[in-house]
Amino acid sequence: MRAGRSTFFIRMILLVSVVLYAIPLYLSIVNIFKTTDQITLNPFAIPSSLNLDNLTYVLNNPNVHLYKMYLNTLIIAVSATLLTLLFTAMAAFYTSRSSGKLSGILHVYFIMGIMVPYAIVYIPLVIIFRDFHLIGTLHGLILVFISGNIPFAFFMYHGFMKTAPRELEESAAIDGAGQFRTFWQIIFPLLKPCTTTTAIFIGLSMWNDFLTPLLIGQVHTITLGIYTAIGPHSTNWGQMFAFVFFGTFPVVVAYLFAQKQFVSGLTAGALKG
Amino acid sequence: MGKRSILFALPAFIIYSALLIVPILLAFMLSFTSWTGYAANPIHYVGIANFIDLWKDEKFLHSIWVTLRLVLVVTLGSNALGLIFALLLNKSGKLTNVFRSVFFVPFVFSTVAVSFIWSSIISYTGVINYLLGVVGLETWQTDFIGNANHAIWSISIIEIWKTVGFNMVIYLAALQTVPAELYEACTIDGGNARNKFRHVTLPMIVPGISISVLMSVINEMKQFDLVKVITDGGPGSGTETIAYHIISQAFGYNLLGYSSAIALVLFVAVVLVSIAHLSITRRFEVES
Repeated sequence: MRAGRSTFFIRMILLVSVVLYAIPLYLSIVNIFKTTDQITLNPFAIPSSLNLDNLTYVLNNPNVHLYKMYLNTLIIAVSATLLTLLFTAMAAFYTSRSSGKLSGILHVYFIMGIMVPYAIVYIPLVIIFRDFHLIGTLHGLILVFISGNIPFAFFMYHGFMKTAPRELEESAAIDGAGQFRTFWQIIFPLLKPCTTTTAIFIGLSMWNDFLTPLLIGQVHTITLGIYTAIGPHSTNWGQMFAFVFFGTFPVVVAYLFAQKQFVSGLTAGALKG
Repeated sequence: MGKRSILFALPAFIIYSALLIVPILLAFMLSFTSWTGYAANPIHYVGIANFIDLWKDEKFLHSIWVTLRLVLVVTLGSNALGLIFALLLNKSGKLTNVFRSVFFVPFVFSTVAVSFIWSSIISYTGVINYLLGVVGLETWQTDFIGNANHAIWSISIIEIWKTVGFNMVIYLAALQTVPAELYEACTIDGGNARNKFRHVTLPMIVPGISISVLMSVINEMKQFDLVKVITDGGPGSGTETIAYHIISQAFGYNLLGYSSAIALVLFVAVVLVSIAHLSITRRFEVES
């Protein structure tokens, strides 16, 4: 009897929490299809008709450049993620497979970046970028993202490679494969689980990053783009929800397709501290 | 096994050094100057003047207070709720998965998106005031970011909403490491649910708690995005966090030397927290 009551109680807590949590998500879906007046009148109402005005406004507004924002973000996130993964896997291949003093020093050197609060890096970085005319360029932003994500990616790869078996590399060496070929054809494919996890963690953080493109790139990525387009004091809720939809839709779809990898990627990311 | 060529480490080393290590060293040097960022102006060495001035800067002192409140409220809220949700959802089932996703999805949103969603809820014409109007509590209607005190609470709650799924996932992973035999042993010894939690679950998930708490503390120490979008530091400068203060001093007022000094203080604070965490965790591990 008592057990039954407490189970019921626990279920109620859970249900109430889930509903409270889901309300903002619910609001940001239904209100895409309403005018701002309808939203103010009753934000919870289910839209009476499938009004696509807000979405078409964002898609067709000549000042918004939605496709350009998507393209910028894709170019930056994809190339910065791939390059970070490649460079870091290579570096970890060296540090995890060499026993010299130098590899130990490099290991500490790469890892210590994890503790750096990025605010300290931005100030000199903006000056450097101004002098090298990198402000507002995609490749400048890509370089910043690579440098910022090396410590975490290195931490992941180094740990993974330390535990990985070495027999394959040795037999490749016996078969006469050079180091670079061994890395590219044998090692890198073996790292796939680690690569997926790391790619999700750093790719998501690049997609969502706001401060870096704001200060260093002034490149309109999707996150900075919707911030600028909506503006800080907008009360045009209908259009705002449409912008938020376009900003979050790709990551939510990615999450739904790869839930397991997302969760394991981010849990592994927790070890970052 | 042959030695690996150091060329493998070269690309990462160059980019990392040039764009992370060199800037930190430059920030360190800048923090002893009064430079305003214009190449034409000579750089004056001012010794430790910036580090003395910042303790007289009321905006900075206030930003420490704001940041501490955020750290405290969000860390407590996200971890308590994260642990509760993890305990409630630590079983398999279709509905469990849906519930987990509801808690987790806000975490994959960008802070900018989260901020805009929530500003439609807490603004004067927003959802909360609408609900208060519906139930006849018009006198309670207020602008939830209209004064600094309310605004900090609002920002804390929004941040808890955004981050709780992440803490929940860490706790779920930690709960998976508790061996089932321990619970059985506890049942045989006559333990009830509360005993099980107190004497089995809690000691076993200490590593999970410690990582989850540290992550929350460090992330909130660096909080910038939410404040930037929701209040832009205002009203006045009432909701400026330390990171916000650094950025506004550097790029709003061009006080590059001074803001570097604050950034250095924040850097040291984060390092100290990490070291303290490490030594506390070590002590725990020795004891258990």
